[in-house]
Amino acid sequence: MKSQILRFILSLFLFWGSFSLAQPKISVGLGLGLYEPTLSGFDDNIDVPFPTGTMLNRNFLFNWAVYYEFFSNARLGYNSYSSFEVGKLDLINSKAVYRRTIIYRMFPLETYFRWKPRIELNFTLTPIWGRGRISVDTTPGDKSEDWNQLINSFGDSAPVSDLGATDAMLNDWIGFSGMIGIRYYLSTRIGLDMKMGFMDNSYKNEKWRLQKKEVTGPKMKIDELPIFSFKVFYGFK
Amino acid sequence: MKKFISSILFFVFLFGQESIVDRPNPCEDPLLKLARNKGIKAIPVKDIPRFRILMKACENEGGHKTIEQIIYRDWHRDYNKAKIMASFTPTFSVIVFLVMVYYFIGLGIATS
Repeated sequence: MKSQILRFILSLFLFWGSFSLAQPKISVGLGLGLYEPTLSGFDDNIDVPFPTGTMLNRNFLFNWAVYYEFFSNARLGYNSYSSFEVGKLDLINSKAVYRRTIIYRMFPLETYFRWKPRIELNFTLTPIWGRGRISVDTTPGDKSEDWNQLINSFGDSAPVSDLGATDAMLNDWIGFSGMIGIRYYLSTRIGLDMKMGFMDNSYKNEKWRLQKKEVTGPKMKIDELPIFSFKVFYGFK
Repeated sequence: MKKFISSILFFVFLFGQESIVDRPNPCEDPLLKLARNKGIKAIPVKDIPRFRILMKACENEGGHKTIEQIIYRDWHRDYNKAKIMASFTPTFSVIVFLVMVYYFIGLGIATS
């Protein structure tokens, strides 16, 4: 009896093995997204002049994705859209380097069918784990004194000054997105993918964290946004 | 000495040359067979450069039809596999489509 159960389990494994080996296809994509958020916390800020917003740091999203085809008409994957901004801020004590990133991490479930041998239509629903990050290089007052004390203890008498430190404030939120796309296959491995859809994020500007302390961050309207994306896909297997 | 060197060279050239009969036909390579039977995507990534070289070599040897067949079969395999939605996928696609329609109608009403 025991050996029969073992044989049954083994045959199940074998069945699964052959079943899963026939289907999986791993594809990697690289591309750009386009959307139009309202980042009033940066653009309309009177107290601190942030770098001027351009298409590149406001509307374009750098996008990469990995998909695993788990069924003949369905894929699961990871899709990341990132918006970057780098510049200098005129603060009271220093001209600080400022970096801002907004990353929309998506975990899409995508179904598709081939309308023509080269053309595919796809349908995507995905939850979003969004993250905002603002980092600033500052020059805290006591920093050079503390470092001087340490360096002097090693025998160096020349003092250091103008030391900087980088801190970052973070915010996480959740959201969801729906997209419809069309993919044109240049070869059996390479495809051009265009998608349009929407993105809804439950972002709250009071929920930022700086050194584990809750702080208020910039106002951003990133809910109910139309989004477009263009990607080049390469199928590995 | 001269005779000795020339005889060595003679044998080196004689046995160094690859026999035409022994040279394998690139169209019969297992990699091309794998591509023909299981698809181009079944080829491991590390073997792709070798596969491309083999495809060219096969074409040069007059195997145009073999290569065409491999590519045609691959397109056909992908198309046949994905042309009809199965299981939960049509329901899911309809849901996504309805969500999109609902969203864009809402957006249109809100902006007008």
